[in-house]
Amino acid sequence: MGSIKRRDFIKTVTAVGCTAAGLSAVTPKKLNATPENILSKDRYGVLVDTTVCIGCRRCEWACKKAHGIEAGSIDDYDDKSVFQEERRPAHDSYTVVNSYDVPNAEPVTVKVQCMHCDQPACVSACIVGAFSKKENGAVIWDESKCIGCRYCLVACPFQVPTFDYHKAIEPEIRKCDFCYERTSKGQLPACVEICPVEALTYGKRSDLLQIAHDRIHRNPDRYIDHILGETEVGGTSWMYLSKTEFSNYNFPKLGNSPAPGVSESIQHGIFAYFVPPIALYALLGGIMYLTKEKSTEEEK
Amino acid sequence: MKIKIISVIILLLLFVNVFHAQSDHKNFDFNCSLCHECENPTKIDPCLKSCPRHEIITVHHTAQQGPKEIILNKFEGIEDIFEPVNFSHRAHSEMSSMAGGCEMCHHYNPPGSIKKCSDCHETNRMRTDLSKPDLKGAFHRQCIDCHSIWDNDVKCADCHAENATEGAQSATKESYAESYHQPVVEPGRIVYETEEMDGVVTFYHNDHVNVFGLQCNSCHKSESCARCHMENNVLADANRDLEEKHAVCSSCHDVDNDCESCHKEKIVEGFNHARSTGFNLNEYHGSVECEDCHKAGKGFKGLKSECSSCHKDWNSSNFDHSVTGLMLDEIHIENDCADCHTEGVYTSQNCENCHDPDIKYPDSKPGTLKKR
Ligand code: SF4
Ligand code: SF4
Ligand code: SF4
Repeated sequence: MGSIKRRDFIKTVTAVGCTAAGLSAVTPKKLNATPENILSKDRYGVLVDTTVCIGCRRCEWACKKAHGIEAGSIDDYDDKSVFQEERRPAHDSYTVVNSYDVPNAEPVTVKVQCMHCDQPACVSACIVGAFSKKENGAVIWDESKCIGCRYCLVACPFQVPTFDYHKAIEPEIRKCDFCYERTSKGQLPACVEICPVEALTYGKRSDLLQIAHDRIHRNPDRYIDHILGETEVGGTSWMYLSKTEFSNYNFPKLGNSPAPGVSESIQHGIFAYFVPPIALYALLGGIMYLTKEKSTEEEK
Repeated sequence: MKIKIISVIILLLLFVNVFHAQSDHKNFDFNCSLCHECENPTKIDPCLKSCPRHEIITVHHTAQQGPKEIILNKFEGIEDIFEPVNFSHRAHSEMSSMAGGCEMCHHYNPPGSIKKCSDCHETNRMRTDLSKPDLKGAFHRQCIDCHSIWDNDVKCADCHAENATEGAQSATKESYAESYHQPVVEPGRIVYETEEMDGVVTFYHNDHVNVFGLQCNSCHKSESCARCHMENNVLADANRDLEEKHAVCSSCHDVDNDCESCHKEKIVEGFNHARSTGFNLNEYHGSVECEDCHKAGKGFKGLKSECSSCHKDWNSSNFDHSVTGLMLDEIHIENDCADCHTEGVYTSQNCENCHDPDIKYPDSKPGTLKKR
């Protein structure tokens, strides 16, 4: 904890702020350029086939176990009563499965988690560079850098990042990290590994797209001709197949261009009131960082 | 020159690719277009269609000939949360005779021995060929389809014993080797009272099986366990709509236009070809498929009873007269059919064309009678 030095932090803030101030006056669009966004053509992804998912919620259990979150007994996940209400990923469950009624068919169960966007809005929104897109496709975060500003939460087009509100003093971003630690060791993401029906297929994104198109082509009655995540917000690593429209599962209707980092809009807002952004960032960020640093020290 | 060399190499590569695919399929007796859409499928682009399950299965045997029980082992690369499953293969094959047959699970089996699931579905989920589900996925997809209809609340522990290290239960699953599905009692006559029309439909289940030679899964294509085992289930006959009820008969009967042949005022006797149509199916016609005479799609309309109305190409040189019970002698065998059977009626004989009027059949015979 607190692994970055105060000086480093100020450097980061200053750098980001300066860039913001400098660029936004000329070409504000550039702000979207993400710090570590290397889109390898061999990046990985997961294809979620909602026509295969049986809503067993084993993925929820495995995800918690893999991330050291209290998971309880696997048998508890047989409980289908949780489907009565739609759930969202939370600080203690990075992925959740919901069940949706659809016209003239069995209910469809859909797993949600971070989509690991190719042009992640969370990464561009984060003013301290706590988020990064990795070469293997994962969008991960560094909780030691997080200052709790929650810009990512507002920026994410899929409403994924959540906060541990129980730790008000030391807020920490939480979301699916595509099991970055496991995949770095050559293991499968925990949810993919446990899924009994392989509703989640892990592989190179380009292969998955080919497989997805092939499944649609060969089973036109089983799938609508739409792979969610193929083009939405510039493409995502996690992609979905379905028998009915994705709006049935409360997926937002999104365009194909990358979602703007929220920092940009905030920036524009600030300019409207003639507040030099760097001052504001430094002030806001500084206060948050100091609070965080202090509480970390107290805990030690 | 360069271009030429390159194109030769490309052609060679293509050829090797196609040839390689073919060598995998050397025992195949299928038309490529059964599975592939394009003319020259390659390993890279096999251009596959949806799997033609029922056409591609070439090995068949009865439920009793298959293994009684199969132990579905652990898979590579995953934590051992569960013990292997003891799968009651025989009981399941018996059940499948009412629900799609062996092809329900064995959806791909070119000529040769019966393929194991693991011959095609890889045991490791981390793999390069992602085009088909891994073994664990394939098993679960197969099982859960029926088990979730059978029990909406299907749980892992229904099939798996949990591994002791994971806590919970650790009961060793019993063996199902000796379990079997009770033989289904085949119904004889079923009388359906019809709401939409007055009267009844008398359905002779036994005749459809024994006389008309229908297989269980000619009609019972995708019967679920629930159909028989669950009370008030949604799949019961009463809950089927008009179209569903007629669908099963429509492959042979003209359900759109010919209501009266099934819907009668009273219960009717079973079908007997001699009594119902006046044409006795002798030993030669008894084993012939209905559709061989009553052409498919045209319904079971009456046919002319003259031999020549069906056997149009018979003549004296290709007809073996002894099948009638009379073996023609050396002289008569040279005759044309019409010399004795005038006007195309083969049940009467006319000897007068050649002989004196006092020579008459059957007092005089143009050959010898054969014991039938
Ligand atoms: S483990 Fe697989 S089948 Fe089960 S709920 Fe998750 S995605 Fe669906
Ligand atoms: S889904 Fe949201 S949190 Fe995940 S990468 Fe995209 S923008 Fe970031
Ligand atoms: S990839 Fe890992 S972190 Fe993300 S939902 Fe699956 S198990 Fe959880």
